[in-house]
Amino acid sequence: MLVSEAVSRRAEREAGRSRWKAAARFILSEYLVLALCVLYTLVMIPFVPEIATVEVWQNILSDMMPLLIVCLGQTIVLIIAGIDLSVTAIISLASVVGASIMTQSDGYLSGPLAAPAAMAAMLLVGAGIGLLNGLSITRLNMPAFMVTLATTNFFGGSAIWYTTFHSTTTSIYDLPDMFISIGDRDIAGIPIAVVIAVAAALIVHGVLAYTILGRWLYAVGKNPRTAYVSGVPVRTTILSAFILSGMLAALASIVYTARLQTGTPILGERILLDVIGAVVIGGTSLFGGKGKVIWTVFGVLFLVLIDTTLKLLGASLFVIYVIKGSVILAAALLDTLRTRYLGVR
Amino acid sequence: MNSRNRITILLLQAAPYLLFLAILLVFGSLSDRFLSLANFTNIVIQAAPVAILAIGMTFVLLTAEIDLSVGAVMYLTGCILGLYLGGVPWPIGLMVVLVASALLGAVNGALVAYLGITSFIATLGTLFIGRGIAMSVSNTASVYFPEAITSLNRATVFGIPSAIVAVAVVFVIAWVLLQQTPFGRQVYAVGQDRDAATKAGLPARRIVFFCFVISGALAGMAGFVSSTQIGAITASYGLQAEFSAIAAAVLGGTSLFGGRGGVKGALFGALLIQTAANGLVIINANPYIYPLVTAGIIFIAVAVDGLRSHMLERLERRFIRPWEIA
Amino acid sequence: MKTNQRADQPLLSVEGITKSFFGVRVLHGVSFELWPGEALGLVGENGSGKSTSMNILGGVHQPDGGRMSLAGQLYAPQSPREAGRAGIAFIHQELNLFPNLSIEENLFITDFPKRGGVPFIDRGWVRKRARELLAEVDLDLPPTRLVGNLAQGERQLVEIAKALHADAKVLILDEPTTSLTRREVERLFAIVNRLKSRGVGIIFISHALEDVMHVCERVTVLRDGAVVGTDLRERLNVPAIISMMVGRSIDAIFPERSTKPREEVALRVRGLTQRGVANDVSFDIRAGEVVGLSGLMGSGRSELARLIFGLDPIESGTIEVAGTRLMRPTPKASMAAGLAFLTEDRRNEGLLMDASIVDNIGLTFLKRFRVGPGFVGGKALNTTAGELARMVHLSTDRVQDTLAKHLSGGNQQKVVIAKWLLRRPKVFILDEPTRGIDVGAKQEVYRIINRLVEEGGAVFLISSEIEEVMGLSDRILTINKGEITGSFERSGFDREAILAAAMAPVGPKREATA
Repeated sequence: MLVSEAVSRRAEREAGRSRWKAAARFILSEYLVLALCVLYTLVMIPFVPEIATVEVWQNILSDMMPLLIVCLGQTIVLIIAGIDLSVTAIISLASVVGASIMTQSDGYLSGPLAAPAAMAAMLLVGAGIGLLNGLSITRLNMPAFMVTLATTNFFGGSAIWYTTFHSTTTSIYDLPDMFISIGDRDIAGIPIAVVIAVAAALIVHGVLAYTILGRWLYAVGKNPRTAYVSGVPVRTTILSAFILSGMLAALASIVYTARLQTGTPILGERILLDVIGAVVIGGTSLFGGKGKVIWTVFGVLFLVLIDTTLKLLGASLFVIYVIKGSVILAAALLDTLRTRYLGVR
Repeated sequence: MNSRNRITILLLQAAPYLLFLAILLVFGSLSDRFLSLANFTNIVIQAAPVAILAIGMTFVLLTAEIDLSVGAVMYLTGCILGLYLGGVPWPIGLMVVLVASALLGAVNGALVAYLGITSFIATLGTLFIGRGIAMSVSNTASVYFPEAITSLNRATVFGIPSAIVAVAVVFVIAWVLLQQTPFGRQVYAVGQDRDAATKAGLPARRIVFFCFVISGALAGMAGFVSSTQIGAITASYGLQAEFSAIAAAVLGGTSLFGGRGGVKGALFGALLIQTAANGLVIINANPYIYPLVTAGIIFIAVAVDGLRSHMLERLERRFIRPWEIA
Repeated sequence: MKTNQRADQPLLSVEGITKSFFGVRVLHGVSFELWPGEALGLVGENGSGKSTSMNILGGVHQPDGGRMSLAGQLYAPQSPREAGRAGIAFIHQELNLFPNLSIEENLFITDFPKRGGVPFIDRGWVRKRARELLAEVDLDLPPTRLVGNLAQGERQLVEIAKALHADAKVLILDEPTTSLTRREVERLFAIVNRLKSRGVGIIFISHALEDVMHVCERVTVLRDGAVVGTDLRERLNVPAIISMMVGRSIDAIFPERSTKPREEVALRVRGLTQRGVANDVSFDIRAGEVVGLSGLMGSGRSELARLIFGLDPIESGTIEVAGTRLMRPTPKASMAAGLAFLTEDRRNEGLLMDASIVDNIGLTFLKRFRVGPGFVGGKALNTTAGELARMVHLSTDRVQDTLAKHLSGGNQQKVVIAKWLLRRPKVFILDEPTRGIDVGAKQEVYRIINRLVEEGGAVFLISSEIEEVMGLSDRILTINKGEITGSFERSGFDREAILAAAMAPVGPKREATA
């Protein structure tokens, strides 16, 4: 009697423990954010029935793409325990520089080569600013936060100033059709923007997961001293991370600019929260050494999903601000809880 | 080689002051209106809001945290002041603003100190929440301040403009708090090494919490001072104010990694930035280059700081054969 | 004994303390007594229960069973603060000071005296009291000096002054001599003796058994979470203590090697000079040879290793690895030439604590697993890392999902060794390879060294334990102030002669007379 009671109590306790363990495993799982996306969608169906339609999901997908591209770069930089606040300025400056080259009203180039040349110039702008960021950090011993804060202000201001030389308004119009097609054409039924973003995601995933550079990035993020003593080229690794981030921001700028069909110097201004937020929601750590492309994909999905549903609900900008801010806080809180109570990281 | 090292360090140490001097010389040679007492008074008055913000930011930076929400706090408390406190006497308005902003700071402090969220993310979140709420109460329209508040801008105390008095009061209180009270010294200890401080029995969380409260309250104060100066605020009010505040503090020698710096530096940094901006206005420079110049100055200051700490680190290394180095 | 005559009851008594973590019992009833005015040495291997016992004394952990009493009163601290208030001061190996604050601010950081009623610090009182406290620990420095500008030994004395201010009855010193110069150690001992004469009880935890024997009246040896024995210093000696610690006799420690050094030179250093660090250092290490470097703390042992490996710049001199001259030494270039370097700072320079064993091992030689343009062959890496882990007898074979930080100190060190073995180094520089690891793991490290040497590798062994250097080396170099002061062949190893050479005068005076 007593024995059986003890046994059943123990079984109960163990069941409780395994239930707790299962819950813990779920919270720890890298698919948590995806699960939350699904859950959120299901909950929202009664309020926003449109969410169950293909059109809305096509919208979500196309909204996700440029953001995802920027976030890929930010993920790389966060992995090395850096941060890149300059992505917004890169997006803006690349947009107006590219537009000024290929615009059909008095651009630097015309003809079929204008658009490719402009895109190359845009990527160069991203790589150049990334290089400047990286050199400042590795050679001048400056903290990434301050460097990119200064460069984002400098190049953000430059973008606005640059526009004044090429347009009487605040934007540069008349971009060639070839370029605009990036924003609205398909390849075999798949939008070009999606093809670009998926390719970028696959490449970044490949670099992080399967290459020597990828391992170096994680090692530098976890402990740059140990990495250096072990023969890792720490400076080159940091430099690569910032150049990649700059180029990915420029690539995003190509997609954004093509979608808008105009080059505008305030293109990137409002997306900093989305960029950092999406990456952090996905689970990439601000302290370096931890992060994955798939996490960032889920983070971007979650953020865009919220954005879309709120817009469908007719929420105003300020409600969107408040809710997005709260979601990011919640994600950060979840991350600290994971760290503190489950001893992860 | 060693005397060369020492000179380099001295130069790097003095770099922000040399930069200040260079700015004075450049603008002074370009305009004879620049180097005048009236203009300097003007510069201090214009620098007042950023100086107050930077002093608050210094507290947070000293604990190795960061507060990105100060601009949002300025905007939100500004909306409260303009929309709901138009009829009350200004001291009550100021009190309400200070209490409200301290409460917002307390939210940040609680998120960071007690819930353990990285301050960068926590205050980025509250930045958007704060701006969202402010946009909702103001309907993103301009908010005008009553004459009772804008007239303060022309008020003086013993002939000293009110904005300067405000900065002076905030500065003295902050300096005494940091240098002469146990709390202040403990802020430095917590910023240097949070774990060691906790082990030593210091209430590290409470100290970080209060630094955010101070930063919040001073953001409210800065907003109040700037409200008296500009008369109306729009939805873009306070955008990137955190940038100026952090930049001013860092220009003045406060480290982003905690434990190093002080409010004197914050004051200097704010004046340096404002002097450059004022000079650009006086020589009628293209307004598009203002942000470029400011960002450039900050970049130089941070680069100098990075080089300096790198060199100091190398020089402070202990030597086995010290007689060869001296 | 005389300590017993001073008081009729012990200052601190610990009776049958037990403690388990996660169901694993780490303390099986630890008991000892501390009398006023005595220093009790507490020794034992890592994992013997020293730190857990002290953490219980210091209020960091609470015991599962047993009781403690302090000056006759029941003592059960719930927090470090409570322990401090009860009069127990715990001076950790890593000092708890703030380099950005002055000495006086550090002394009073938790309880600044305020000026009557107002919340301002009473600077005058602080200055006066700080001077008194500094005088008590023989530290002749202005109280306003920043702690960041103090030497390690001086900082420790500031910590002790802090304990005196808190009116500590019991002072726990955890490895207090490890990072001190000999002069600083002597000064520390003088102060410990002074505190003893004032009736303070001191618990002295150390791996440096000579220091323990020098300063402690009694020694308590812990093994596997229990006290193996406590005895008066007069009735003990170092070998006896070691055999109590390990439970076996000391001569089994250094395994024999079956091979002799070969002819070819693996590492040739000529005229290595860096102002302030090293002066005209020249030596050879042959393949299959272990050369030990012996020197006192602060003699420039580790610094020399860092110069050779390219971690710090060199002004002049040449380094050749297996006949190839290193042109601009950097870790990368040194590694390419065949050097490997086990750093003394495992936590900050040796390992990625948050990374798996595989990631740590692979880091030194990812290119070996390269496939195609820059890709890493993950499978091959995992297999090789697994083999290396088995070779160094790592406690776990789950190399892919065990993080370095979850390993014991000894196993962490084995991972560091494995990551360098991956490169099959021609010359392996080992800086304090057995620091902070237990005797069992030490033995394994010795075996790995022997195996490496038997296969033709060369080893440059740096250790502060002279027995270790003598037990493993074919040749010993002594260093002082960055200069080589002596060289001994194995047949001529003599403890006193080596020590004398390590203390041979070096410096401007000698240069002037030469």
